[in-house]
Amino acid sequence: MPDFSLTPEQESLRDLARKFARTEMAPHAAECDRASRFPEEIYRKAYDLGLLNLNVPAEYGGSGLGLFEQCLIVEELAYGCGGMTTTVIAHCLALEPILLDGSPEQKERFLKPFCAEYHIAAFALTEPSGGSDPGSMRTLARRDGDQYVISGEKCFISNAPQASLLLVFANVDPTLRHKGVTAFVVPRSAEGVTVGPDDEKMGHRASSTATIRFDNVRVPASDRLGAEGNGFSLAMRTLDQTRTPIGALATGIAQAAMDHAAAYSLKRETFGKPISEHQAIQIKLANMAQAVHAARLLTWRAAWLIDRGQKGTLESSIAKCYASDAAFDVANEAIQTFGGYGYMREYPVEKLLRDAKLTQIYEGANEIQRIVIARELLRGYG
Amino acid sequence: MTAPTLVVGELHDGALSDATKEAVAAAQSVSGKENVVGFLAGSSPRGPAAGFGRCGVARAFVAEDPRLDGAIDAAVAHLVASAADSVGADLVVVGGSTFGRDLVARLAVRWNAAVATGVTSLSRAGAAVEVRRPVFGGRATETRHLEGAHAAVALRPHAAAAPPEVPGEVALTAVPIEGVPPALWAPKCSGVKAVAQGAGPSLTDASIVVSGGRGVRAAENFHLIDELAVSLGAAVGASRAVTDAGWRPDSYQVGQTGKQVSPQLYVAVGISGAIQHLMGMISSRVIVAINSDASAPIFKVADYGIVGDLFQVVPALTQEVRRARGQ
Amino acid sequence: MEIVVCVKPVPDAETRLRVAADGTTLDIEAVKFVLTGYDESAVEQALLLKEANPGSKVHVVSAGPPPRTEEVLRASLALGCDLATWVETPPGVAPDPVSAARALARAVSAVPHDLVLCGKNAGDDEAGLVAGALGELLGVPDFSSVLDLRWDAAASRLRFQRSTEAGMETWEASLPCIVALQQAWNDPRTAKLPSILKSRRLPIAKVPPDPAPPAAGTTRPTKFELPPPRTGAKLIEFKTPEEAAQKLVKVLKEEAKVFP
Repeated sequence: MPDFSLTPEQESLRDLARKFARTEMAPHAAECDRASRFPEEIYRKAYDLGLLNLNVPAEYGGSGLGLFEQCLIVEELAYGCGGMTTTVIAHCLALEPILLDGSPEQKERFLKPFCAEYHIAAFALTEPSGGSDPGSMRTLARRDGDQYVISGEKCFISNAPQASLLLVFANVDPTLRHKGVTAFVVPRSAEGVTVGPDDEKMGHRASSTATIRFDNVRVPASDRLGAEGNGFSLAMRTLDQTRTPIGALATGIAQAAMDHAAAYSLKRETFGKPISEHQAIQIKLANMAQAVHAARLLTWRAAWLIDRGQKGTLESSIAKCYASDAAFDVANEAIQTFGGYGYMREYPVEKLLRDAKLTQIYEGANEIQRIVIARELLRGYG
Repeated sequence: MTAPTLVVGELHDGALSDATKEAVAAAQSVSGKENVVGFLAGSSPRGPAAGFGRCGVARAFVAEDPRLDGAIDAAVAHLVASAADSVGADLVVVGGSTFGRDLVARLAVRWNAAVATGVTSLSRAGAAVEVRRPVFGGRATETRHLEGAHAAVALRPHAAAAPPEVPGEVALTAVPIEGVPPALWAPKCSGVKAVAQGAGPSLTDASIVVSGGRGVRAAENFHLIDELAVSLGAAVGASRAVTDAGWRPDSYQVGQTGKQVSPQLYVAVGISGAIQHLMGMISSRVIVAINSDASAPIFKVADYGIVGDLFQVVPALTQEVRRARGQ
Repeated sequence: MEIVVCVKPVPDAETRLRVAADGTTLDIEAVKFVLTGYDESAVEQALLLKEANPGSKVHVVSAGPPPRTEEVLRASLALGCDLATWVETPPGVAPDPVSAARALARAVSAVPHDLVLCGKNAGDDEAGLVAGALGELLGVPDFSSVLDLRWDAAASRLRFQRSTEAGMETWEASLPCIVALQQAWNDPRTAKLPSILKSRRLPIAKVPPDPAPPAAGTTRPTKFELPPPRTGAKLIEFKTPEEAAQKLVKVLKEEAKVFP
C-alpha cells in the first residue's frame, strides 16, 4: 500500500460514521454505561443510515463494504462508544458465516428479509466449557429425519436478548470432536430457545450479553450452513474476517482515551503550569501516540490485505492483539493522566479502560492470538 | 480632486435609518464632506431626504415612484447607477441592512463595481478603496482593496458612528424614472405585510443583546432574560438549544445558522459557548457571560464573567440595572 | 417545479484558522471543505420542496476549484439532489462571490430553473452577494433573508417570510425567482451510506467558466488577520448575587464603557 491517503469515497464513509458517533452515540454513552441499557433507538438510527449491515452485499440489502471501509467506520463508531460498536460488530459477525458458506438460496432466504427491516443477529459459539476451545463444545445437534434437534447452552452471547436471528454452532457427532461442529441458522423465535437475563458486565454495557439455552430446538436441515462437520472451519474463517475490525474498535477506544488525556493535560495546571509541560505527562502522551498510530496502521494493512483476497491471518492476529493491548494501556495511562479525577465515574476515561479490557478477551483472546501469530510466523521459517 | 461618493439611503419609521447616517459618516471620512451626495428612492422621498441635510450632506438625488417602496432592487440599482454616473461618482456606500447588501450585489453587475459587504472600516489606499470586514463568523478579519473605476460598499451595522446633527439644508435633484427599462419593474409581489418582531429593538440592529441558553432550563424561566433585556433596552436572543426546544421562535437564534450580531454589549446567560453560537456573536465589542459552569467555553471568549447561579444573579442584575438607570 | 440550488464548499466550522504564508488569505492546507451552514439548509429546503411537490427535480450547482467543489456536489447528490453541474475554476483560491455568480449564472441559464435557491451567505466570506448578482445576470427578482418558504401550487405562488430590520415581512411571489435562505434547518437530513456510495458514480455535468469575463471591478485580499487570542473572562468575585450585579454594572460603566 504505497499510498496511505483515503479516497474521497472512504472519507465520506468515515465522515458519516464520525458524525453519527459524535452526535448520536457519544451523548448517550455514559448513560447507557451507567444503566447497562441497550439503546435500541440508536441502533435503529444506525440501521437507517446503513451503518448496521456493513458486511452484507448490497444485492441482499446490506452496505456491501470491503473490510478496509468497515474498519474506518468501526474505529469512528468506537470513538463514540465501545459498547454500542460491539453490538454492531457482533451483529456483523453473526451474518458472516451465511456470507461465507451459505448457498445462494440460503443467502437470499436469510439475508434479504433480514436486511429489509431493522433486525439484530447474534453469533452463538462460546460455551461454559470453553471459549478458546470451541472444539470441546457440548451443544449437540441430533439428526432426526430432515431436521436437527439442538440442545445445549451458549454463554456470553452478545445481542442474544435482542436478536431475531441466531448463528448457532452445535456438534452433530461429539466423537469427532471439533470435526463434528456444524453451523445452523436458528430463528430466535424457535420453540425451545430461551435467553437468560442480561449479564452484568465490567464494560461494553450498552451491548447486551446473555446465556442462550436450546431445549430440543428443531431446525430444518435446509438451515444448516455447509456440510456436517464444516462448522469449526467456518467459525475459524469467520473470525479471520472479524478479527481486524476488532483492531479498529480498539483503536477507536485508544484514540478517544488519548484525546481526553491530551486535552485535559493542556487545561489542568499543577505547580504553576499545565501538566502537558511536565515531562512525566509528555512521556505518557508520546507513548499513547505511538500506540494509537501503530494500532491503526496495523489494522489498515491487515484489512487491505484481506480485501485483496489474502488470508491475512498473521496480520489480522497481530492487529487485533496489538490494538487491544494498546487500547488497554492507553486507557490506563489516560486515567493516570487525569489523576484522581480519572478514577471518578463522572469523568469519561475510566469507562474507556473497562471497555478496552474486553477487546483483549473476546473475538479470540490475546493468548490465542499469540499462539496463532507464532504458528504463522514459524511457518515462514520452517 | 476626489470623485463624489453616493450614499444610498433607506428609511426606518419614515426617516433616514441609523444605518444610513452611519453610511454618511463613513463616506464623509473617506471622501470629504463636500464630496458626499445622498440618494433616496421611494413613494415620497423628499420629506425624509431632508435628513441628509441634518447629516451635513449638501446635495441628494431623489427617485420618486410608488413602485419604489419595497425591495424592487433591479430598478433601484438602475437608478443608483445612473445617478452615480451623472455626478461621476466612483464609490457608492450604503448602510448595514438587508437592502444595502442586496443593492451592492446588483451594483456589482449593473455598475461593474468592485464590491464588499459587512464592512467595518472604509478608507482609501491610493486609487483603491480599502475595506476591512469580519469573516469566518468574526473569527478573522480580512482587508481588501477594491480596484477599478467603480466600487460599492455595504457597511456592517454600527461600523461608524452617525455624524452629529447639524442644522443643514440639502438640495434635492430628481432622478428621472422614465429611464428605467420596463422589464425591471416586473411585479414580483402582491401584498407586503411588515410584522413587528416585538417591542424591543431588532436583534441585528440592537446595540445591546441579552441571550439565554440551555441553562435557563425551561420556557417558563425565560422571562428572566426578557426582564434583563428590557432593563438594558436590549434585544433578546437565544442559543440553538432554546429554539430547538421551542422556548422561543427560530428568529431569536443567534449563531452560525441563525443571526449574526455585533452589538456593543452581548450578555450570554446560561450559554455554554459552543462554536456554532460563537460564530453568531464573537464580533460583539464586549461579551459578558453568566454561567454556573466555570469550565464552560464561553468564559474563554467573554470579557467579563460571573460564575454563578443565573436564577439568582440575573434578577439581581436586572434590579441593579434598573436602579442605575433610574427606572 | 425545477429547483436549482447553488452551493459553495466552505471550511468546516471546527477548522483551526491559520494565516497563509503571504499574510493575505486563509491557509487552506489541511482544511476540510464541506457543505454546511445556510447552503446545507438550502439543499434541505430544496429537497423538502421536491418531496412536497411530486414531479419536481433538484439540480445542484457550484462554481469553484477541484477537488472540494466536486465533493460538495457529490455530498448534495448523496442527500437526494437529482442532477449536478460544476463550473470548474482553477485549483487553489476560490473565485470571489461576483465571479462565482457569473459562473453560476452560466450554469443556471443552461438548465431549466423555476426556483433558484441559495444560502443567505457562505460561512467563510459571509458576503451574501450571490443572490443579488444572479438576479441581475439572469434578469429575475431575488429575495434575501427568507424564512418559511412554501410553494402554493394551486395559486402558483411562492409564499415566504423575509427577516429584515423592519421586522418579519410576509411575501408572495411568482416564479421564476431567486431566494436566498436564512432558514436554518436544525435537523437537516444525513445522507445514508448507500446514497453516499451511489453518489460517487453519478455523473456531474460540466460547464466551462466564461473564457473572457467582462472587465469589471476586482477585489484583492491584502491582509488576513486573526484577532489576538482572547485571554479569557475577567471573573467577577462576589459573595452575594447583589454584589455580583453591582460589580458588573460598575465595570460595564467605568471600564468597558458600554452601559446604556
